[in-house]
Amino acid sequence: MAIAGAVPGQQLTVYTAKASYSLPVFDRGGKPYIAVADLLSPLGASPPHLKGKDWRLELDKAEARFTEGKDKASIRGQQADLSGKALVEDGRVMVPMAAALPLLSRLLNTAVDFHQPSRRIFVGNDFTHFTAEFKDGDAPSLVLNFSQPLKRLDSNHEEDRGALLFTHTNKTTLTFRKDPLVSDTNQQQFGNGAIQALTFTEENGTASITITGNRPLLISRSEDGKTITLQVQAPAATAASEPTQLSAPASPEGQRHAPEFFVMIDPSHGGNDKGASFGGKLVEKDITLRLARELRKELEERGIATRLLRDSDIDLSLERRAEITNEQHAGLYVALHAGRPGRGVRVYASFLTDPQQPVASRFMPWESAQSGALGRSQIAARAVSDELRKKGLTVANLAMPVRPLNNLTAPAIAVELTPETDDPQSPENLKRQSTVAAAVAAAIAQVRGQLGGRP
Amino acid sequence: MIPRHFQITIALVLLAVLISGVVIIRMTHKEEALTLQAAEAAPVAPVVGGKQEHIQVLLAYDEDRVLRWRPADVFLPADRGLRARETLRYVLAQYLQTPSPHPLGKGSDIKDVYFISDDTMIVDTTAPFADGHPSGILLEEMTLTSLIETLTANVPGIAKVKFLVDGKERETLAGHADLMSFYQTAAVHELAKEFE
Repeated sequence: MAIAGAVPGQQLTVYTAKASYSLPVFDRGGKPYIAVADLLSPLGASPPHLKGKDWRLELDKAEARFTEGKDKASIRGQQADLSGKALVEDGRVMVPMAAALPLLSRLLNTAVDFHQPSRRIFVGNDFTHFTAEFKDGDAPSLVLNFSQPLKRLDSNHEEDRGALLFTHTNKTTLTFRKDPLVSDTNQQQFGNGAIQALTFTEENGTASITITGNRPLLISRSEDGKTITLQVQAPAATAASEPTQLSAPASPEGQRHAPEFFVMIDPSHGGNDKGASFGGKLVEKDITLRLARELRKELEERGIATRLLRDSDIDLSLERRAEITNEQHAGLYVALHAGRPGRGVRVYASFLTDPQQPVASRFMPWESAQSGALGRSQIAARAVSDELRKKGLTVANLAMPVRPLNNLTAPAIAVELTPETDDPQSPENLKRQSTVAAAVAAAIAQVRGQLGGRP
Repeated sequence: MIPRHFQITIALVLLAVLISGVVIIRMTHKEEALTLQAAEAAPVAPVVGGKQEHIQVLLAYDEDRVLRWRPADVFLPADRGLRARETLRYVLAQYLQTPSPHPLGKGSDIKDVYFISDDTMIVDTTAPFADGHPSGILLEEMTLTSLIETLTANVPGIAKVKFLVDGKERETLAGHADLMSFYQTAAVHELAKEFE
């Protein structure tokens, strides 16, 4: 179900030892609101359900109760101030963004630090700190040392050249979307040369380090992910200078870690796995491959990079599909299916079958790897559903444990369409596939900024 | 003296009777074989060790893409494991009827049901349950949700359920629905709302 009024691009980011995730912020009467399910589902909370007049949910056996129109909630049996009235829209409970603090701290029974202006919430004392070490000389450099390995690095104007990132401007911004990065000082000066100053900023659920100077810089990351080095690019020595490589390994298929946002398109089934049969010669694996190629074309026309998990009739296990997608750090995974019964299109986000599975370490359990991206998956699913409806299609937006959605660390959705007829080449089927591909691509382009890509 | 054309007519009539007889005998045998096959494919009748109970079962209706609670009178033993098995078998039996609200492959059955802890249950199904299951996200999820919801409604204290196929783990039911995970019954209760 779609919720109207999301402020375009505005997000709240939650950092926990288990996962980091972002959720959309909605405007309700000039006040920022969030959906309770977006905030708590990635942590394993049950979806809020109506019992009597109260909406209830559970997280690790702790209960929270909300009443529509009331500005107080009951958390673990104690009253908590929500800083505004609880709203219920399309079966979803919405609360003021400020209520995230009491909700998380009391339900998780732990310390929570809320940087409200920048919309960043830190659960537990799991912060990443950094120090900056400037080295002057013929080839000045700036070494950033982080207290724990970084999850992901985005920089402005970079391009992937064999695992080295190059910038093309005199102002380099490193954006940290997944790391609980904090700093005691917001600005450091280094002089008037190639590297002049460092500025730390927090806004819209992200942290950024901006380095200004008078020349482009070469960025590299150490193998343990705890150090970033920025060096002046010496034109003649660029190819020879070999700072340490990015930490992400290249996939067995030979494709390297992609820092850019791209959509991994998965034409489901293939080879001996035909998928569903629709009478005659029409089988699911053929529909999904054709639809995948259409979607690739539509996305690339909108300037969004894509990769196909298969572009021919080959066998590829579900586990391998998830592994490849995770290894290559896709910005969004879209599985394509075709099935009956019914008409129209069904859009699925993940449903965690065992949301309270314990996390023993920083490694995410395979069966609930999706938990950190669930909120963004739901954003993508809702956007795709809305766009399909605009095209006049009958659409159902569902949460189901469809393999391998739960094994993916990226936002992930599945789109299932029902064929109009049993003839794969019938004009009705071909037209339907084109319409679906165009709508899915348009939706992805709309919410790309909320999924981790640049809008 | 019987005229020649009359002789030919009698011979043709006798031949027709003979052929009809052979066809009827073969059709009868085929029908018997089919009936026997169907009887073998259907789940075995419940263990008559318990008492007849009036329970609620959640059945899938493909036509409407919904799950609906239906009353049923089923013989259920007191033992939790047997009770769980017979409850699940009753649901599968409804799907194996003709016509069926949610057709499954012949031979779909529950081989065994056992607890690995007080609240965690393993359901071991026959190979035809998965091999013959129609492929499709919705159809597969409807089957699993129907079974788990019926189970938890009639056998108290089950928090997690996992399905095996012929004693082994399988990645999906028929290409889509996750069979590797343990299904938390409270979460499935929420999932069932998608089919209301």
